[in-house]
Amino acid sequence: MVRGIVIRVGIILLLAAGSVAATGANAPLNFTRDVKPILARRCFACHGASKHEGGLRLDNAESAVAALDSGEHAIVPGDVEQSALIARVTTADEAERMPPEGKPLASQEVETLKRWIKSGAAYQKHWAFVPPERHAPPDVKNKLWVVNPIDAFVLAKLEQAGFEPAAAADKRTLARRAYFGVTGLPPTNEQLQAFLDDSAPEAWPRLVDTLLASPHFGEQWARHWLDLVRFAETNSFERDGLKPNAWRYRDYVIRSLNEDKPYDQFIREQLAGDELEKITNDSMIATAYYRLGTWDDEPADPQQARYDEFDDILSTTGQAFLGLTIGCARCHDHKIDPLTQSDYYGLLAFFADVTPYADTSERDPMRFSQWDMSTPEERARRAALRKKADDIRAESRAIEEVGVQRMSAADQEVARTPDRTALLQNKLERHLNVSEWTQYQEINKRLAAALEEIKNQPPPDSALALAMCEPHPQPTHILMRGSAHAPGDVVEPHFPAIFGDAIPKIPAAAADARSAGRRRVLAEWITSPRNMLTARVMVNRVWQHYFGRGLVRSTNNFGELGTPPTHPELLDFLALWLVDHNWQLKPLHRLILTSNTYQMSSTANERALAADPTNDLLWRFDPRRLSAEELHDATLVATGQFNPKMFGPGFYPTLSKEVLATQSRPGDGWGQSPSDEQARRSVYMHLKRSLLPPLLTAFDFPDVDATCEARFVTTQPGQALAMLHSEFFNEQAAKLAARTTAAAGRDPQAQVAQAIRFALNRPATKDEVAAGLELMDRLTKQHNLKPENALRYWCLTVLNLNEFVYLD
Amino acid sequence: MSSTKRNRDFCGRTRREFLWEAGGGFGAAALTSLLSLDGFFSRQAAAAAVANPLMPKPSALPAKAKSVIYLFMYGGPSHIDTFDYKPRMVGMDGKTIAVKTFGRGGHKSEGRIVEPRWKFRQRGDCGKWVSDLFPYLGECVDDIAFLHSMTAESPIHGSGLLMMNTGKLQSGSPALGSWVNWGLGSPNDNLPGFVVMLAREGGPINGAKNWSSGYMPASYAGTIFRATGSPINDLSLPAGTTRPMERDVLDTLARSNERHHAARPDQSELAARIATYELSYKMQMHAPEAVDISQETEATKRLYGIDREQTRDFGTRCLLARRLVERGVRFVQLYSGGGHNDDNWDAHGDLVANHSHHAGATDQPIAALLKDLKQRGLLDETLVIWGGEFGRQPTAEYGQGTGRDHNSYGFTMWMAGGGLKGGVSVGATDELGSAAVESPFHVKHVHATVLEQLGLDPNRLAYFYRGLDQKLVGVEPVEPIREIIA
Repeated sequence: MVRGIVIRVGIILLLAAGSVAATGANAPLNFTRDVKPILARRCFACHGASKHEGGLRLDNAESAVAALDSGEHAIVPGDVEQSALIARVTTADEAERMPPEGKPLASQEVETLKRWIKSGAAYQKHWAFVPPERHAPPDVKNKLWVVNPIDAFVLAKLEQAGFEPAAAADKRTLARRAYFGVTGLPPTNEQLQAFLDDSAPEAWPRLVDTLLASPHFGEQWARHWLDLVRFAETNSFERDGLKPNAWRYRDYVIRSLNEDKPYDQFIREQLAGDELEKITNDSMIATAYYRLGTWDDEPADPQQARYDEFDDILSTTGQAFLGLTIGCARCHDHKIDPLTQSDYYGLLAFFADVTPYADTSERDPMRFSQWDMSTPEERARRAALRKKADDIRAESRAIEEVGVQRMSAADQEVARTPDRTALLQNKLERHLNVSEWTQYQEINKRLAAALEEIKNQPPPDSALALAMCEPHPQPTHILMRGSAHAPGDVVEPHFPAIFGDAIPKIPAAAADARSAGRRRVLAEWITSPRNMLTARVMVNRVWQHYFGRGLVRSTNNFGELGTPPTHPELLDFLALWLVDHNWQLKPLHRLILTSNTYQMSSTANERALAADPTNDLLWRFDPRRLSAEELHDATLVATGQFNPKMFGPGFYPTLSKEVLATQSRPGDGWGQSPSDEQARRSVYMHLKRSLLPPLLTAFDFPDVDATCEARFVTTQPGQALAMLHSEFFNEQAAKLAARTTAAAGRDPQAQVAQAIRFALNRPATKDEVAAGLELMDRLTKQHNLKPENALRYWCLTVLNLNEFVYLD
Repeated sequence: MSSTKRNRDFCGRTRREFLWEAGGGFGAAALTSLLSLDGFFSRQAAAAAVANPLMPKPSALPAKAKSVIYLFMYGGPSHIDTFDYKPRMVGMDGKTIAVKTFGRGGHKSEGRIVEPRWKFRQRGDCGKWVSDLFPYLGECVDDIAFLHSMTAESPIHGSGLLMMNTGKLQSGSPALGSWVNWGLGSPNDNLPGFVVMLAREGGPINGAKNWSSGYMPASYAGTIFRATGSPINDLSLPAGTTRPMERDVLDTLARSNERHHAARPDQSELAARIATYELSYKMQMHAPEAVDISQETEATKRLYGIDREQTRDFGTRCLLARRLVERGVRFVQLYSGGGHNDDNWDAHGDLVANHSHHAGATDQPIAALLKDLKQRGLLDETLVIWGGEFGRQPTAEYGQGTGRDHNSYGFTMWMAGGGLKGGVSVGATDELGSAAVESPFHVKHVHATVLEQLGLDPNRLAYFYRGLDQKLVGVEPVEPIREIIA
């Protein structure tokens, strides 16, 4: 950890020269970036938040300039000579030199400290730990380009750097960009044509509204959220057992996004849906948030495993909702961010009433994690049906007993055993008179009908949820070095000190309470409009998924080891906008989508590319590769196989026996789904932790065991192999060929062009038609393929095109 | 900053983080090619480099080993029946004694001794005591460094396997093979850098979690390699497609893709993707070639026991392991045993039957691997690891029989080659083998030793994730096992 910091700083200094966002040796010092890491690494262990040896404490400005036990001053702002710190780190006397262990400070480090002291030794607060400020959109020269405030913030920086924004993208490019960005699916050619034909100035905002109203919007954006909350449907470890009804949480997220549930409510439901004023099935399903993580049903160290579960919840909550890597403070104070171990356990205490996923002795999640959602009426109806059947069964039994009494003693014995059924079948009739027998048969008919009725009832609806809590939890201790076996001081639930909020007063739960009432307090605090991180973190995520990366690129880490925003004022503007708009996300989506910034072309401009190759200034729209899911879904749309069915239990894509053979029990926990189910969107794919579908992982579907802030985008030959050889792509190529033939007939030229149109939403070029015809010609003439098979290879080629996989 | 240093430093961050923080504007080509993995900064990178996240990287320290072959004895072999000689247990069979044990059956404080079931004899110049389960391996002890005081944090298969493979009890972290490839890349771009070969009995408990790349890109995950059929998933042509037909498809594809790229010349990820198709075409030749053991002499096949049913499966995989490291694959992991119960070394019932079976299937092949590597001059640069996720208890699990429960308090692993000493044994368990008592080693020490021998500094090889520099060996510095380093 400590060495890593040196490394990081070294690299920044090494590479800063020549970069647009220059942070070179002549640039003014930045305390957080340049100075604090040195202090943290070499000084804080003895002169930080927890220890103040010699009366020196360097982690805040006030104490750093105070008099030491010796009467000297470690730091005298502006006066290097008088600052004892510099003398102590540079002295040749080894007994005197600080730090007492390890190598002396490097000369550049000393130089940095000197420059910092000389310039006044300012302790600047990290940008994210200062509440957002209201910024008016800046003035710009090219006012015509500004459609909404986003454009003003972006253009101001471009103009400052002497760049122009890229021209607007053409309508077809724009439509495909937005269809994928908003819904994760390509437009159909009919949808696209309608937009191209609409020449009204409001055509674009109209399309944006249509897309935001599409049910596919929730599916696409739910997947982004599911990455953050490490959604999967099994527990990992040896048994990797199923989490029944986890899919309801996935559906809850889709529905919440589609109905534009305010983000603050969305958070409150997930963190405290069981403690709200109005508890609904939805708010209970939301608490599955606590049940999504991995769970060891056979832990070697049960106490430690319990705290690993807490850590999973706390780390995920910190990163997903607050952009804070609070997990770093589990074993010791955070080395860089102002988060202490007490902050960590103070937050953990809010979750103290969260029971484990299941009791390890029973391994059955029913009690702790399955919530019965039946209404009282439904429960009463089910009970009534059961009683009816029981009553009829008693009648039937009474007649049976009449017959049994007439049997031999030996048979009467048998009637008390499990062999009774066989006995009655063989001998009852001859021990009853005709009217008894008729009556018996009539009763049994009624019994069968009653049982059938019970069978036809839908099973009781259960949801994965925080179904049981520990309303009076044990006190939470700070754990020394993170060990569950080394409890230290007791901590009360409290918020990290950097937020400056008072310790909340949480009354003890009533004797008959269901939960401790702490999580709701935490949820209220996170969703308070005053919380300086929640809104910033969320608007940044929306930005990230439209532009390929956030204004803050480390979207789960707004702390000091994260990356500063490229457009800090814009970030604050959007954060306050979200809160002002009742935390509703769709208006924010609309604002972004209708900006000119979003509508820029992705075409490069030499000068800007040379000066700002990573497009920090947003001089163009960054092209991107489709995600694993988009690629899967877009293929189904192109081939006409797409099944838009929403919600419900997930489907199992067919996995090869080689893939199943990696399990210790091949096929265990994996079902079979009919092909139309398999043509549903990939967000409905069943996610088993130890058996993630290779088609997804090949295209960077993330590991599902911890929160994922951003997908990798790798390019590797396994992807080419999957797209050329896998059963999925070959089947889809055949479907595309069939669809093409149905639409274009037998004429090869028409077929070639039609396949392009289905896959790429545009007419084929002359070159493409020639290429397709040439391929089909070679395949039929040189490889003796039938024309329909040759077309299949052309369709496979089309699905493999870069243009199919990348968006402009 | 030297290029070596710079490269090592770079491991402190994900490529993306690194770039974001640095703010862009690099000139160094070597760096750019490393950065291009995620397509984020690929504009100035060579297309071929973009296509290959496993591009070889210089190691931080002088490397003694280039490759690793990890022979995973899944289920947990009993150390006191194999390499940890316990002469004082002789004659104690059936005695009930006080001993603390912890296995799947929970914590116990006494048990019935099951005396080691095999005779031990001294082997090699070093006079190492080896049980008669391993007549062939006994011939190799002068090349082996035995670690008799291994400990792990879990005596349960699921978490135990995860710990041995990833250093953590929970899933979600990269496997040792992922770390090695992340740190060093792989010199052969026609083959995966991290190969896993499973036993015919099936996969191990946890399945793919054991070779997952966790929070690293999936490119660093283990690739399952098979000795028969298509060696890698989706490598073989679909039925009906011939290689010349695929060539025609690829040529058509490349021409279209190049036209598309010409309009977007700055986007080198497009060129990279074009390159991956050629690479995948080459892999279809190279991977089958690597598993084609018909190129080996009959003498070699006999050496590995491929001519005998009992040793054919593991022998074939050991021979493939040698062929893969010859071709530059960095990390090869072979599982001995799969599935559940007696399909692996998990001898809860009949110890004799279980261990006779699994040792019988692996003894000759492993000895052959060591000898073959040595005679080809490859043992010096190939680190071979042998061990399970834990060992077994000195006492019986049940009232009857010889079955032993799991034991993570003390067990044996061994390593050979890769710049390690041979004919040495370090650490010791108590007289019963119930727990490590002399210089106990943790799984982390083995991992640190592997990284060190490959020229990676175990305490600096880091990956920035979740706000922390994550390391295979954890936060606290860990020393490699110096006693066995030559």
